[in-house]
Amino acid sequence: MSDQGIKSRPTYAPISRDATGARHLLVLDTTQPPAGAFAEGTALEDFPERWSVEAHSKAIPSPHADDLLHGFRSTSHLLIALRHRLAQEHMGFRLYAIGTESFLWDVARAAAEAGMGRDEYRLLAAGSAARRVYCVHCRTMNEQVTTNLVTCSACGANLFVRDHFSRFHNAYMGVQIDAEVPGETLPIEELYP
Amino acid sequence: MMQTTLLLRVVQADLLAPTLRRLVLEAADGAHLPPAAPGAHITLTLPVAAHGKPIRNSYSLVAATGQHYELIVRRAQRSRGGSHYVHDQLAPGAVIEATVPHNLFPLATQARKHLLIAGGIGITPMLSFLSALRARNARVELHQLAAADEVGVFEGLLGLRAGDGLHVHQGRAALDLADLLARQPLGTHVYTCGPASLMDAVQDQARALGWPATHVHREDFGAAGGEPFTLRLSRSGQEIAVDGEETMLEALERAGVDARSLCRGGACGECMLPVVEGTPDHRDHFLSDAEKASGLLVMPCVSRAQCATLVLDL
Repeated sequence: MSDQGIKSRPTYAPISRDATGARHLLVLDTTQPPAGAFAEGTALEDFPERWSVEAHSKAIPSPHADDLLHGFRSTSHLLIALRHRLAQEHMGFRLYAIGTESFLWDVARAAAEAGMGRDEYRLLAAGSAARRVYCVHCRTMNEQVTTNLVTCSACGANLFVRDHFSRFHNAYMGVQIDAEVPGETLPIEELYP
Repeated sequence: MMQTTLLLRVVQADLLAPTLRRLVLEAADGAHLPPAAPGAHITLTLPVAAHGKPIRNSYSLVAATGQHYELIVRRAQRSRGGSHYVHDQLAPGAVIEATVPHNLFPLATQARKHLLIAGGIGITPMLSFLSALRARNARVELHQLAAADEVGVFEGLLGLRAGDGLHVHQGRAALDLADLLARQPLGTHVYTCGPASLMDAVQDQARALGWPATHVHREDFGAAGGEPFTLRLSRSGQEIAVDGEETMLEALERAGVDARSLCRGGACGECMLPVVEGTPDHRDHFLSDAEKASGLLVMPCVSRAQCATLVLDL
């Protein structure tokens, strides 16, 4: 029961600055991008305006809107500010996001809701590969899944974690593994550390 | 088989201005007309006497219902006869052949705002956009460029109301494109129709300001003429002269070659032909820059030749 070849699984490339853009904002779900986050010839300094997540209760974004560096308490905090920013932005703006997949696709959704096209933002997955898994049977999100199988936290179904990624749900699909033949399952493996 | 042509009867014809004629058309057999989304056009087959073969001209639908299609046709100064025929011959009761509607200029459903920029008769698709966008309560801003003596006509067609975001400008200089495009909110799509120089300026200015190509839309109609040249068909050995006032596609059709076509404006790619020898003068918006540079393909509906003889794999 291999899921290889499912095309909805997103792929990513190291971030480079889109020279056709007029203004650029980089958002991260950490304070520092990991090694290899940028394409050759691109560096953190190419993005003077950066918003990061400090994951600390003392983190306070600068009250000065003109400041280029802002640190947020959490990704939720950052995403709220990002939606406000996008609502005030003009054409020519480019957005870049580096972080875990669920952060990236939350950012992508905010961008799409602001009318941005796929050419106007760039994403790079970094950090934990843990998956958000959507139980297709009871529609419950199961967070931080690192294994090929997971027991749904709500309905108890033994879910196989497919490579099928839904951009709408921002989650991988989890399907009961022994739906056809009760009891027929797979050994548990840690695949998404 | 899918129906591809329609017989249409002129129900009403009136002059909006000395060079602008509005036609209201219905199905000759009284049937329902096929639906047409905003931005769609139909291609009329016009039996122009001077040419051996009829001329086929594409016109945007200004309005389309199950009962009626509405067009506005400008009498072209350098006309091959098509628009003169519409102005001089098509009276109420006349029946003409047309294609079913095709749409190469659709509205972007994801847009947060629609910016419409038209020059002269380029207003026609914008009128269909405006009705649709108003019905959806969408955010829209329109800038119409008009010659001095037509400002009033366009104001009337648009039904201008204060504060509705519609503007008619007298002449190109009256609109600051760079300023307009720079202050558009994220998620805006721009649509332009009119003279090639206007559409090029919109496209170039938008690109310079960082607009992605996906948010810039243009509608190309009508090919300007150029120097005459000769077409040679490599398989049949046939030679066809293309005169300065006709397109390569029209010359092929005149010679009885069964050439495919759809928009006849360099946008859809339907008429694309392989080139064996010679250098095309590319004027379409379908081929990529790399494809144009390769010189292996040509869109005969608008493109011409930079050499005396162009050899096609036909």
